[in-house]
Amino acid sequence: MLAAPWVCQRCVRSLGRIRVSQFIRRASTDSAPRTLPPALLERARRLTAEHDQLRAALENDFDPKKAKRAGELGRIAEALKQFEKAKTALGELQALLESDDAEMRELARDDLEATEAQLDESSRNLSVALTPKHPFADMPCLLEIRPGPGGTEGRFFADTLFKMYKLYCANKGYRTRVVQYEASDSDCQTGDEGEVALQEAVLEVQEPGAYGLFRGEAGMHRVQRVPATETKGRTHTSAVAVWVLPSFSENAGSSESEADWDNPESDFYIDPAEVRTETMRARGAGGQHVNKTESAIRLTHVPTGITVSMQDSRSQHRNRDMAWRLLRSRLAQQRREAREEQVRQLRNSVLATHQITRGDKIRTYQYQQDRCTDHRCGLDTHNLPDVLRGGETLDRVMESVRTWLVNKDIEAVLADEEAAAAAAAKQTK
Amino acid sequence: MPRLPPSLFWRARKDISPFAPVLLPVCRDLTSTANELRWIREHVRDTPSPVPDQLRVWDLVEKRGKGVPLQYVLGNQPFGDLDIRCRPGVLIPRPETESYTLQLASLLARDRPPPSSLSILDLCTGTGCIPLLLLHALLRTLPRPVPITVRGVDICPHAVQLARENLRRARARLSSTAGDLEGACSVAFLQHDIFDPSLLRLLANPEEAITTTTTTAAAAATLPQPLNPGLDLLTINPPYISPRAFARSTARAVRNHEPRLALVPEPLAAAAAESSDSTLEPHDVFYARALAIADALRPKRMLMEVGGLDQALRVVRFFLRRRRRRPAEGLFKTVEVWRDEPAAGDRGERMAVEGTEVTVRGEGLGRAVYFSVF
Ligand SMILES: C[S@@+](CC[C@H](N)C(=O)[O-])C[C@H]1O[C@@H](n2cnc3c(N)ncnc32)[C@H](O)[C@@H]1O
Repeated sequence: MLAAPWVCQRCVRSLGRIRVSQFIRRASTDSAPRTLPPALLERARRLTAEHDQLRAALENDFDPKKAKRAGELGRIAEALKQFEKAKTALGELQALLESDDAEMRELARDDLEATEAQLDESSRNLSVALTPKHPFADMPCLLEIRPGPGGTEGRFFADTLFKMYKLYCANKGYRTRVVQYEASDSDCQTGDEGEVALQEAVLEVQEPGAYGLFRGEAGMHRVQRVPATETKGRTHTSAVAVWVLPSFSENAGSSESEADWDNPESDFYIDPAEVRTETMRARGAGGQHVNKTESAIRLTHVPTGITVSMQDSRSQHRNRDMAWRLLRSRLAQQRREAREEQVRQLRNSVLATHQITRGDKIRTYQYQQDRCTDHRCGLDTHNLPDVLRGGETLDRVMESVRTWLVNKDIEAVLADEEAAAAAAAKQTK
Repeated sequence: MPRLPPSLFWRARKDISPFAPVLLPVCRDLTSTANELRWIREHVRDTPSPVPDQLRVWDLVEKRGKGVPLQYVLGNQPFGDLDIRCRPGVLIPRPETESYTLQLASLLARDRPPPSSLSILDLCTGTGCIPLLLLHALLRTLPRPVPITVRGVDICPHAVQLARENLRRARARLSSTAGDLEGACSVAFLQHDIFDPSLLRLLANPEEAITTTTTTAAAAATLPQPLNPGLDLLTINPPYISPRAFARSTARAVRNHEPRLALVPEPLAAAAAESSDSTLEPHDVFYARALAIADALRPKRMLMEVGGLDQALRVVRFFLRRRRRRPAEGLFKTVEVWRDEPAAGDRGERMAVEGTEVTVRGEGLGRAVYFSVF
């Protein structure tokens, strides 16, 4: 992926004074010297060497484990090759620029820009290849939308966001399914745009890879506007939480995938003995004596206290299925976050302070000024209606957040490499 | 039933909808009122009609408000992954029935070595929900597809007709998910009194069944072979409520709208002879009859739905005494009591009946007695 051209100044500034951000800036927007930080290049060479060795070994003797590792390293080896090719090409051009032949110099100058761009691109690609892929990246996802504390205003906006993501998926041709949609008031009160007061909604984006696409949407979304009911014209601020959970296709389960929930090693594994099930079934004799329609189900994962309630379907069986899926997804996300947090604690660097945690505001939707601002990448767009329609503007916002996330990952890899190098240097002393 | 406070009606109108106060007296609380209204709206939205939606919603809400069960108002009830059609005159499938049916399907699918064919008989089949869900679940979960023979029997012509309708609907669903059902499976619903001695002959001899009970050529085509001689599963959810309990402890929506024939066993001369045993109450007659049928058909497994732990234990006691008296007939080695949620975590519950330790599975009320030859 190319560095998006709209990675704007503020984004770069927000990355602070760390060396790596300067590198990214140079690598993506400037025309200054193009080099990868030595630590990254070192890592790429080391992993490529490992890749070549594995390949050679596989020629003689096939081993699925080695083949898998070689496959993973393949993209690094390839990216390094492209990078070195571009570097050599630039080196040759630069030599030509020194040439005595005026015509040669002219030709070289003509090619210079394109070759430099190529090197930019390949060095960016190489850094991206060096960052580990998120383990859930290829999975479908669940978007959980819940209003923050406060009045109806936040609930109306929760519905606006729900519709925004639904429209966005429709525009992009992603299949979705409404897993849960609970509104508190249905007929009497609706917002300006006919939104209802949403209490909780879960939208499944069934596209493989949706988790990777939507991962950056997780966090607090803030809205600033004058509600319809406000007589004095005051702007209100409310917040809506969006959580992104990994999901899995209907017939997943016992496969090779991440969501192999029968395997106790998997993030999605739940010991049934640790789950308490509550139903809202009728008191009394049950069976033929009653024909109630209550089908609500509540699951509690006792060790973590996570609860899931589901009552959307008339079928208790379906509610139970969905509740289990949601519980697995929530637990997997929580386990993953806990592990990431551990890694972060170990990384005693400035980076830690730049991480977005659950409670942080990530984006503001400002109605009066028609603006949508993402606080992480700093992108500021001025076509709020198009954002809320799930249009191209939202696509741009989401993409620049993804770029920002990748940059963070590169920083982390670099920090790890440098820490390892420093530790190694200490040892040899 | 206690009167609801006026403030609740006011809140229903304000928080849910102007329709809500109409539903509240039958739904009893705000959550279930909101849910039912949502389901009514979804139903109207999903079934196109020239009549304006709002009018149709009002019409259905009014009907429901008069106490008609929602399943009759909307004409269906989800049952497992199936959508079972419901009509007044035929009992609405219950969630407890759904739970043990799915549990049975997963037991059959886990058998090792996997079966090479299966044969299932459901007595008192009503909408046909039990055998149709078994078939649907088995076709999706068996390690490899096998021919499955399914028979359902009910005395009531409306039930048999509805079960056949449900078969057509299930078939449409199946052919989209599990491929061709027609090829490998044979399903038929027969109208017959299970106390009638000719039942067994009929099951063994489908030709007769066709001439005596079915009229359409399409239905005849579904009966290509007799019920497999080795019966794998016999299920029965018979009427099991005593006349007294019917008057006192059934919900009004059940009493006023569901068929008594499906709920209360009628005093039958043939039955009286078989249940002369003092361990059984008069409203347990169907269980005695089902055991007699099992003696003849020798199924590998049998499940009978019951109306609570007391009834379950009466049936177990009757079975154990009978086995002691006539060991030749006692082919079932295992007898268990299943609660409402048989799949819920095993707590190792056991009960002593007639000196035998009986396993009680799951959570909830006593809901079924399960027998097996294993
Ligand atoms: C409790 S309902 C069960 C319906 C269905 N199996 C279910 O689980 O929803 C009992 C059914 O038994 C049928 N029935 C009553 N007496 C019968 C008899 N003597 N022979 C056959 N069926 C009978 C009724 O018509 C009714 O459909």
